[in-house]
This record gives sequence, C-alpha cells and structure tokens, in this order.
Amino acid sequence: MTERAGRRPSSRKAVSADPGAPATGDVDPVDVVAELAGDVAIEPGEGISSESEGFDQISAEDTEPGPSAAGWIARRGLIAIMVLGVIAAPLFYRGDAGQTKLTWMAIGLIYIIFGLSINVLVGYAGQISLGHQAFVGVGAFTSAYIVSVSHASFWVAFVLAGVSGAISAALLGFIALRLRGLFLALITLAYGTVAQFTLFNISSLTGGGAGARAPRPAGFTSNRQFAYLCMAVTAALLYVDWRMVRSKVGRAIFAIRENELSAASFGINITGYKLLAFTVSGVFAGLGGSLFAHQQQLVQASSFDFTFALTLVLMVVVGGLGSRVGVLIGSTFFALFPLVFNAISLYTALIGAIALLLTLTRFHGGIAEQIAPILRWFGGGTLRKHPRRVVRTGGESVSP
Amino acid sequence: MSVLDVTNLGIRFGGLQALDDVNLSVREWEIVGLIGPNGAGKTTFFNCVMGVYKPSTGSASYRGTELIGLPTHHRVTMGIGRTFQNIGLVKVLPVIENMLIAQHAKANYGVLSSFFGTPNVLEEERTLHRNALEILDFMGLGPYRNAVVASLPYGLQKLTEIAAVLASDPEFLMLDEPTSGMSPEEAHAFGELLVRLRRELNLTVLMIEHHVPLVVAVCDYVYCLNFGKLLAEGGPDDIRRHPEVVAAYLGEEHASA
Repeated sequence: MTERAGRRPSSRKAVSADPGAPATGDVDPVDVVAELAGDVAIEPGEGISSESEGFDQISAEDTEPGPSAAGWIARRGLIAIMVLGVIAAPLFYRGDAGQTKLTWMAIGLIYIIFGLSINVLVGYAGQISLGHQAFVGVGAFTSAYIVSVSHASFWVAFVLAGVSGAISAALLGFIALRLRGLFLALITLAYGTVAQFTLFNISSLTGGGAGARAPRPAGFTSNRQFAYLCMAVTAALLYVDWRMVRSKVGRAIFAIRENELSAASFGINITGYKLLAFTVSGVFAGLGGSLFAHQQQLVQASSFDFTFALTLVLMVVVGGLGSRVGVLIGSTFFALFPLVFNAISLYTALIGAIALLLTLTRFHGGIAEQIAPILRWFGGGTLRKHPRRVVRTGGESVSP
Repeated sequence: MSVLDVTNLGIRFGGLQALDDVNLSVREWEIVGLIGPNGAGKTTFFNCVMGVYKPSTGSASYRGTELIGLPTHHRVTMGIGRTFQNIGLVKVLPVIENMLIAQHAKANYGVLSSFFGTPNVLEEERTLHRNALEILDFMGLGPYRNAVVASLPYGLQKLTEIAAVLASDPEFLMLDEPTSGMSPEEAHAFGELLVRLRRELNLTVLMIEHHVPLVVAVCDYVYCLNFGKLLAEGGPDDIRRHPEVVAAYLGEEHASA
C-alpha cells in the first residue's frame, strides 16, 4: 500500500464544512459533557436538534414527581393485601366446595407456570411454539414414571421433569436456529402432535391409553397442601423470571428478538441465547408438567392434544406477550373459566377466539396494555392514560 | 500500526460479485471514510469484516488477529464497535435498557446466577447502570434515559446508538451512515462530535458516509467503492476532485464536462 501523505493524526483538521460555524476540532477538551449537551443533543435549533413535538412529553414525564409517602404506603399496602389474600385463601376453603376451590387454585397456579414458560419463548424470544404441550407432557410423564415405576422420591422426579422438559425444548431449539416464522410454527405443531400420538403412547413408559399413575408426594397429599406446593413453585418461578429479565440473559434474549445482527455486534452469542431461551422455557414447562401430573394423579396422552397447545398460546397472547402480570391474568382466566362456569368447551373456545381477535386487531398488548395505567400506578406513576403507546412499564415489556 | 487491514476481500452472491479484490487499511487514530454510490458494496464490506457474511476470498485482520471465520459476537471484546444504517437498537425498549444491552460482554457474572439474582449479579448490574448513565450524560442524552427509543426523533436515535456502542468500550468504531436522515447542520454537529470523541476516547473510526462535506471535514483518508471494486483512495480533497469518483456519483458527462 502506498504511503499516505499528510494524514497522520497530528494533521487532524478542524471541522470546517460550514464556514460560518465555529471550528471546534482543536479546542481544548474542557467540559465535554456540557458542550456536547449544548452543541449536539439538546439545545434547540443547533446540532442534532430537539425540534420534534414529542420532546416536551418525554422530558415532562422524566421530571414527574413521585408519589408521597402516603401514596407509597397505599401502593405497597394494596400489593401486600393481594399477596396475603392469595396466600391465606386456601385456609378458608373448607368442606366439599372448598375442595373444589383448592383444586381450581392448584390448576390456576400450574397454568401460570405454563404461561411463564411459553412467555419466555414467544414473548421474550419472539419464537413461536404451537407444540408446547409436548414439553409439558414430557415433564408430566417423566415425573409420573419416576414416582410410580422407579419409586423414587417426588422431588427427584420433579427435578428430572424439568430436565427432560429442557432437553425436549432444546431439541426443538436446534431446529429453530434454522427456521423462522410459518415454517417454525409448522414444525412445532408437528412436534407436539407427533409427541401426543407416538411418544406419549409408548405403553411401557406412559401406560399407553390407560395413562400413568402419579401419586402425590408425602406431605402434599391433600388438596390444600398441594395448592401450597403449587403456590411455592409458582412464586419461585416468578422470581426466576423477574431476575432473568433484569439480567444480561433477559436483555440478550430481547435483543435477539428485535435485531439479531446488532445483538451479535454487541457481543451476544445468538445461537447460545436462542437455545437458552428454549431451554428455560422447557424447564418451566417440565416443572409445570410434573405438578400437573401429580395434581391430576393420572396422566393420559389425550390431555396433551392440540387444543391444549392452542389454549397455552392463547392465554399468553391475550394476557399480553412479554408482560409477566398480563401472563398471570391471562393464564388464570383461561385455566379457571371452563372450571368455574362449568362451561362446555364450545363457550371457552368462543370466548378465547373473540379475545384473540380483539387482541390481534385492536389491542396488541393484550390485557397488560389495558391495565397499563394501573401497573404504572403501582410502580409509582399516576393513573392518567399515557400520551403515547405504552411499550414498557415497570420492567414489563409489551411488544407493539 | 494498522488497526484494520483488509486484503483482496471478495464475496459473490450467486451471479453478483458484490465485492471484488478490495484492499483497505485503517491506522491508529484515523477517521477513514468509505464512500460510494448506493449498491456499491459498502455495507456488504462491513458485514464481511463483522463476520455476518463469509467472504469467498481475502482476509481482514484487526491488530494482527484474523477476523474472517470468527463469530460476530467475538468482536466486541476485541474492541470493535459497529453501528447500523437503520439503527441497531431495540426500539421498543427505553434508552437505558439499550445501554445495558450494549454492555452485554462487560457483564462477567455467570448465566446461571442471572436467574437467581445473586449478590454479585446485583452488584455488577449496578455498575453497568452507573456506566450507562455516565455515558448518557457525556453524550447529553441523560434527560432521555427513560424514553422509549422509538419515541425519540431520528437524530437522537442515531446519537443513542453511538452512545450504546461507546458503552461497550470500543477502540475501533465502524459507523454505517451515521448521518443518514440528518439535516446538513445536524451532520456538521455530528462531525464535531466525532472528532471530539476520537480525542477524548482515543478512537479509530471507519465510516460509511454519503454526506460529502462531512467526509471532507473529518476524514483523514477516503476510500471510494463502486460496483464492488475500489475505485479510488486518497486524501478527502483528492477524492472529491477525482474524475472517476465524480463520474460514479454524477454520471460520465459531468466528469468529462
């Protein structure tokens, strides 16, 4: 390569494109912060300007005063009352009606675990899964087999259910590295359906059509005890999900969902984190599946049909993809609606379809978007409707 | 010493020779411009260097380390930062979250401990947060830290992307049309910013740029690509008057006139 004359750093020139503008390339490096802020970013009319009409709102929001001490007490108090209410509820469910309610509660909590699982994949990672029932089923049958055939402890089975869910999801993850969109959706659909008809019908492992027995662990045999077990697991997984979103793992998964190219240039290993998202989703599904099996005490392949997979996707989409609170509400609703109203599946399907249509056409953020002002209030904001579309509130992100 | 040395780089997409025998080098502390008409292969060149595409011929070495064949995500820890023509930020997230995403490689805590919020994770997260705010203040973006990127005007989004890349502690910046969508005044201000960033942070820069006054003002050396081939190279004033460059941009008759 030829020698380049006059281009060493010492010959660095001042910016002089516009003769009228001050040349600043060779001034002393004084207070760069102030100068940059003045020249480039903020001062209107000069530099990269702030002439857009959106600006006042943004900065106004930033300086909004927080709630008073009483306001905080009210917010924290309400949250505490709700949490304590859920924790205490099983103690007040007595008699035959109480037994039913305890069952409902356990199922609702297990569905929240399913919801969290699918939310990691669809909400956070932006993948699609129409075969999620397969991961749940793998966890359920693994757990049932280990407890009733190997006679190992429930806790061993519970952990291994998570592991088996993770493995089955990671397998699908390898496929997802190469496919996206419609093709991935079809593969996951096939995966789930094939699992239901073949894998879950191997008599020696799953008991075939008769199903596998899954007795409850000692100490958690009553409905009340089992509801508390489900509550503890759900709480633990909610915590794990929360921490993940607030760590580099969650951020890496978001970044990959939005833009793989730029994520990679920020040092994010695309392959690794995509597989991790599938694995985490699989662990959640497997653990949920284990609880599901022992709650029912009998697991049958027919439980894991396509309708179940659709319900799983539906409850997360309607609840609000990517929003933990939305998923919580959506999952609880879709788990309990058919039970509480003893509705035939037609009504459930109808309500689900209408909710899905509304979400897809009008309210992309689902329930989470509708209750965003309330969530913001709990986070210390005001109840007023946000001036622009809410994309993220208090750590919950809702894809538009 | 050369920061980036690219030799005989070539890539073919089917029947199209997108890049053909491109030689380019960037030395310590230089701002080098890469210009050329649309479709000349400038972004393809960036993608080859970044490992997005695997070139069919040639090599690219960064401070003596061969880059070709190395996965994209390895580059950030080597000190290479890249921006994108259409802004490589997660636009649905607030500015501050993007600053944290950009610092992914700086978070040393284990993947497993991320799920449990162990004390070391919380401690490191606080440090990353502090760094992010520091850089945002440095760039004058402090007031917008909680604003969703998509809600910011385009110029500020561009600036936010630069801030995010700076948060990853780069020594060498590859900027893909940093002033696209900016007014001439804004582009000029950006030039001032770039010169200052180089001085303050000891940066070396390779940038794709269309805005000729900016290239002339800030670049130490300029390469011009056309149809995947290197058309000309030289100091910015030479390039501006180079007859083939003028012809490539404006058409043959202007060049001969």
